[in-house]
Amino acid sequence: APGFYTALSAVLIVVALFIGNKKEQSHYK
Amino acid sequence: MSPDELQAAIATTNSILAETYYFLTIPLMMIIHAGFLAYEMGATRVKNVLASGIKNILAFAFTIITFYLFGWWVYWAFPTGFDLSAGPAGISGLEYANSIALAWGESAQYMGPNIADKASGVFFAAFALFAATTASIMSGSLIERIQTVGFCILAIVLGSFAWVVAAAWGWHADGWLVTDWGVHDFGAAGLVHAVAGFFALGVLINLGPRVGKFNSDGSANDIQGHNIPSTMLGLFLILVGFFGFLMACIIVPGEAWSWSATQSATIYGTPITLSALGFNIILAISGGIIGAWITTRDPFWMMSGALAGIIATASGLDIYYPSLVILISISAGIILKPCADFLEKRGIDDAVGAVTVHGTIGLYGVILLGVFASGYPALSGDAGVPVISFVGQLVGAVVFFLLGFVPGYAVSFVLAKMNMLRVPDDVQIKGLDLVKVPAPAYPEHFLSEQKSD
Repeated sequence: APGFYTALSAVLIVVALFIGNKKEQSHYK
Repeated sequence: MSPDELQAAIATTNSILAETYYFLTIPLMMIIHAGFLAYEMGATRVKNVLASGIKNILAFAFTIITFYLFGWWVYWAFPTGFDLSAGPAGISGLEYANSIALAWGESAQYMGPNIADKASGVFFAAFALFAATTASIMSGSLIERIQTVGFCILAIVLGSFAWVVAAAWGWHADGWLVTDWGVHDFGAAGLVHAVAGFFALGVLINLGPRVGKFNSDGSANDIQGHNIPSTMLGLFLILVGFFGFLMACIIVPGEAWSWSATQSATIYGTPITLSALGFNIILAISGGIIGAWITTRDPFWMMSGALAGIIATASGLDIYYPSLVILISISAGIILKPCADFLEKRGIDDAVGAVTVHGTIGLYGVILLGVFASGYPALSGDAGVPVISFVGQLVGAVVFFLLGFVPGYAVSFVLAKMNMLRVPDDVQIKGLDLVKVPAPAYPEHFLSEQKSD
């Protein structure tokens, strides 16, 4: 149902930010 | 054709016109973001061009998606204040927002394809583009030293929450600033521009200046962007896109959700015509350019003056007389550069003057409406409707300032503590593109530099 897709989208957004930050911090080391 | 068939045909025509009207504002507002991209990348030095571009397009992407997930809900839930109660118009509050603006449960039918609802999608998209505009406004001021993910988090807070609360309070028919104080901000000088501008100021205080911006004695160095023509073209594209932005601030007549059967209205239900915007937008652009030309010969500030002209008059583009628009926009252009210099002398490195162009001039425009339009009705209705007043506009200006500055400062303070705000100084010196992308924006230029080394 739409709610499932919506919840999955929200999780993906958070995961994208988390992965993005991990990669970014590795650039500064 | 029977009278009933004729009536149905007229209704269909009006419905398609209304849906198409708002749909066309969406690509027009996308031009704003093409403009911001060219503007911001031109305003950076060669070594930071791609990092600035990446930051800009990510701001758009994260803002749009989070606005779908919760920003649209905020607009309908918050008008009466933080208690999320229903307002007098009956189209606000927690229960109402839950019924139309969440992409799950029963309200999901209004958040996706629905042949019985020709309005929700185009209104959502127009508002989402407003949201992305706030993030882009902030983006330029922070270039060349902000971390990408920290910036994306700030863009989400600004684009899907801070400005949306301002819109709920100062635009929505149940907004307490409108119903209690008669605040009028037709073209969002306060609730988009000022909120975004002062959000950026809050971030800039915690972010600090670019390496090399200030000398040890506190004097400032001018860090020139690498491509001023790109910056000027970008600013002109932003102006083009603002025709779509201001079109989307109009409620067309004749639909079930319209304010009137026959008359276009502002978001407050007060009457407006596209002809009023025809007079006033192009005069505001022109006045702003001339005003900035009086105090500076810098083409960057002259183009910024064009934007300042629109912003200074945006609150009253629906009611200002065109020659008054000329006067206000020229005055905005004149004070633009001195206001930016005032901030720089206090150690704020606003790379593109966004705090001044959008923040200071936005509040200037909100307050001036109280000077020149006091007594106008602020909301549709008969006797007893709130009216525009100087005090009301002043209250609106203070609230818009706080809704921008406080979350901008607070969230960036936390990000700084988590080492997610500022790019380390050695990376700034080397260049963000080679460290973070990693690739140069102009490979031939980069190769020739390497050979000369």
